[in-house]
Amino acid sequence: MMPILSMIVLIPLIFAALALFTKTKEQARVIALAGTVIVLLLTVYMYVNFDSTIADNQFEELAQWVPSLGITYHLGVDGIAMPLILLNAIVLPFLVLFTWNDERKSPNRFYACILATEGAVIGVFTALDFFLFYIFWELTLVPLFFMVSIWGGPNKHKAAIKFFIYTHVASLVMLLGIFGLYFAAWDMTGTPTLDIPTLISQFQFIESGAAKDMIFLALLFGFIVKIPSFPFHSWQPDAYTEAPTAGSVLFVMLKIGGYGLFKVMLPMLPFTASPNLMITIMAVLGSVSVLYGAFLALSQKDLKRMVAYSSVSHMGYVTLGAAGLVSLSVSGAMFQQFSHGLIMSVMFMSCGIIKNTTGTRIINDLGGLAQKMPKLAVIMVMTFMASLGLPGLSGFIAEVSVLAGSFVNLPSYVMIAVSAIVITAAYHLWALQRAMFGVYNEKLGTVTDIDTFQTVSMGVIAILVLYFGLNPSPVLEMMLTNSDQIVSLMAVMGV
Amino acid sequence: MDLMLFAPEISLVVTGLAVLLIGLFIPTDSKKILGYLAALGVLVALFFTVSSLGTEATAFNDTVSIDALSQFFKIVFLVVALLFTISGIKYTEGNSHTEEFFTLGLFATIGMMFVASANDLMVLFVGFELASLATYALAGFEKKNAKSLEAAMKYFIIGSLSAALMLLGISYVYGATGTTSIPGIAANASVLVGSPMGLVAVVLLMAGFGFKIALVPFHMWAPDTYQGSPSVVSALLAAGSKKMGIVAALKVFVVALIALQAEWQTAFAILAVITMTYGNMVALKQTSVKRMLAYSSLAQAGYITMAFVVLTPMALGGGIFYALSHGFMKAGAFIATAAVTYMVLSENKDSTDPDHIDNFRGLGKRMPVTALSMTVFVFALAGIPLTAGYMSKFILFSSTIQSGFVWLAIIAILNSAISLGYYAKIVKYMYFLPTDSEKVSEPLPYTVAMIIAVIGVLAIGFWSEPVVYWAMEAAKVLVGGM
Repeated sequence: MMPILSMIVLIPLIFAALALFTKTKEQARVIALAGTVIVLLLTVYMYVNFDSTIADNQFEELAQWVPSLGITYHLGVDGIAMPLILLNAIVLPFLVLFTWNDERKSPNRFYACILATEGAVIGVFTALDFFLFYIFWELTLVPLFFMVSIWGGPNKHKAAIKFFIYTHVASLVMLLGIFGLYFAAWDMTGTPTLDIPTLISQFQFIESGAAKDMIFLALLFGFIVKIPSFPFHSWQPDAYTEAPTAGSVLFVMLKIGGYGLFKVMLPMLPFTASPNLMITIMAVLGSVSVLYGAFLALSQKDLKRMVAYSSVSHMGYVTLGAAGLVSLSVSGAMFQQFSHGLIMSVMFMSCGIIKNTTGTRIINDLGGLAQKMPKLAVIMVMTFMASLGLPGLSGFIAEVSVLAGSFVNLPSYVMIAVSAIVITAAYHLWALQRAMFGVYNEKLGTVTDIDTFQTVSMGVIAILVLYFGLNPSPVLEMMLTNSDQIVSLMAVMGV
Repeated sequence: MDLMLFAPEISLVVTGLAVLLIGLFIPTDSKKILGYLAALGVLVALFFTVSSLGTEATAFNDTVSIDALSQFFKIVFLVVALLFTISGIKYTEGNSHTEEFFTLGLFATIGMMFVASANDLMVLFVGFELASLATYALAGFEKKNAKSLEAAMKYFIIGSLSAALMLLGISYVYGATGTTSIPGIAANASVLVGSPMGLVAVVLLMAGFGFKIALVPFHMWAPDTYQGSPSVVSALLAAGSKKMGIVAALKVFVVALIALQAEWQTAFAILAVITMTYGNMVALKQTSVKRMLAYSSLAQAGYITMAFVVLTPMALGGGIFYALSHGFMKAGAFIATAAVTYMVLSENKDSTDPDHIDNFRGLGKRMPVTALSMTVFVFALAGIPLTAGYMSKFILFSSTIQSGFVWLAIIAILNSAISLGYYAKIVKYMYFLPTDSEKVSEPLPYTVAMIIAVIGVLAIGFWSEPVVYWAMEAAKVLVGGM
């Protein structure tokens, strides 16, 4: 059997290197499209052959790497990782198409950054060895840092450094947690291993309760900064806003924080010394993120910054749903990551187009754009509606499962999150009303609608938002299988 | 006794003398050949050393021992010597003292190698001095350059002082235990425990080695010397000579004076923390790349010193592993600086600060191979994954946590996050700041040396297993004495 996981990780990285050596925009974008399309085809092949009825890791690849330290080259995907890989594989070719006709400096490095991010992010989703996991985790930082600091907005340097240092420090704390787990397991079994499934299964045998809690919290910190969750979200609006459109979309594709929550944290949760405390921490962070993010979004003047804060709010559902600990809420939270990735990428593309055509993103300076840009308006309204949770679109399914599911265990936190729904609707509709509808603001001069490449790329993703809103089962099924397994562990432990 | 055990040293001695002798009879123009000869000699020595990995023997009445530890460090020194001689071919071009440059470099390497295999404090001291004397002369190799002379002078005075302190420390140890043999001292060291004599000896020895390793507060000479010496020599000093201090300290403290652990362990912890923090903080604001590398070298020595605190086989193995990685990374970085210096000087003979960071502007376009290699070196020094530096930090820091020194590991990890600041600055200058200067041709010997170092850095980072294995074997030699 061919090593398909190695291929979907390595192909983007190899194509990134190829893209670096191209001389013109035309060559670079063709390389980027080829690389992302190959990954999409391989991912579709993998998806078709994926057995969504079992929660185990599939397509596993295992080779020794540094045996004396227990480091292996171990890849595999389960129902948590598969949808996220699918998300990246679907969106990235359309992202390349979206940027097809843009003019920018050093297009070779630009496309290399896109490809390198894809490889690194998929690497995180497939790695089953903490050493490998950490390498890919850190590798995602590098292209995104350059993305912001080279092609970003006016405050790009500050935003890039803030993003880098903030998340790098969080990764180092996570690394401490990994070390703790590694040595605790080594002391017990006498053999070193960094294998993720093995270490997670040995976590429960660590004797010291304090050690278990420290390890858990260190890992949790690394993950929730990446999500990002209140109160560690402050790097995110700056980075998302200052990044170029493609960079913002890549940030949205960076679902590694939430992935870690499901893949590493939840299976360990019932075995910590104080599981109820951990659940409370996650529930508080999640529900406050939902509400606080919504309020911050409401007060923004810049459309892109508003979308960035709405992302904090929406990712709050992921943390909350994970803490909900029933199959419905956990799978809903996983689905939220998938759906949020699709919706947000179109929303950021819309912001980018508005900035390019009108020269501003300040909501009050816009107005009546729908008259001049009908195609953009249709797509944008559709994704804004999805984002505010309109039934029939993918955001609704995710949020309703999280809220309904979490209500079983965490009614009071759900009430906090529910109260944000009105605000969420308000800022989405208000922004649409002021920017897209009403009287056309003549100061904006002549504007043209989106071109074919942009229409196709945004349109296809928007259609997928509708498709998964009506029929989520193609990805929800495998998520349910894995969340059932996680929740059954909880039940055994009586949490 | 089997003379083949000393094949590496013998081949270096023969090469060194041959280079010196041939140099007397050939004109300056053709002295390039001496560099090739020296590099060949180092390669032969490297071959003998690698093929003798796993041999265990003692010689000369047990004063010299061949084991995994000695062979591992010999490889470190020979790798640095190889990079030194290859890049020296370009550096000494047209210089009538070429033969002295290579001979001194080779003799310094022999001294370091004897320290690595010393099993007796006298052998250790003689090896130490052989290496030191040769490097004093090398540091002042540019006789007409005031900075180089200042560097040599400072290095010589401080080096002599540290040798005196070390010798005094050794004499106390000898006086108390009645022997200079390292295993012999280890067996009798209990008489020093709790006695004021033991404390004095530990303080003197620590100061003596501290100067060589450049631990804060014994570091004053290092930035000036590394900056003032020719870059190629700085590579030898930072990557080779410093490791000699480390292997000597490993032998003296971890093997011979392990009984006095209580006296020196905490002191090393404090030195490690101060050294890494000070080195990184000061490096942040340097504008001379060589000075920045000098301070980063302090920081790296601080990390390695953590092995003296943790003292588990894994930590010691990590420190030893780090020594090899650092040899490649630091020597490579200094050689890249040498290439830039060469470029600047060939454009403008009177340039006073050829190692200023402004000269790195747009290097990615002007000298693509040098810039790319430098990027690999600084990222490795910062500990970016898949490089030798990452693997070294991974082993060393994780073993620190394993032994419960979580605070030390956290300080070290924070330090390596800070260090990214100045390493990234170099990369920023090379790739993101514009320049109007033209592309220049890169001198071949420098390029070859850098490519070897890049391969080393990436190979150790990626294919770590054999190196980890031998580093752990070397650590077992040390711990065997516990």
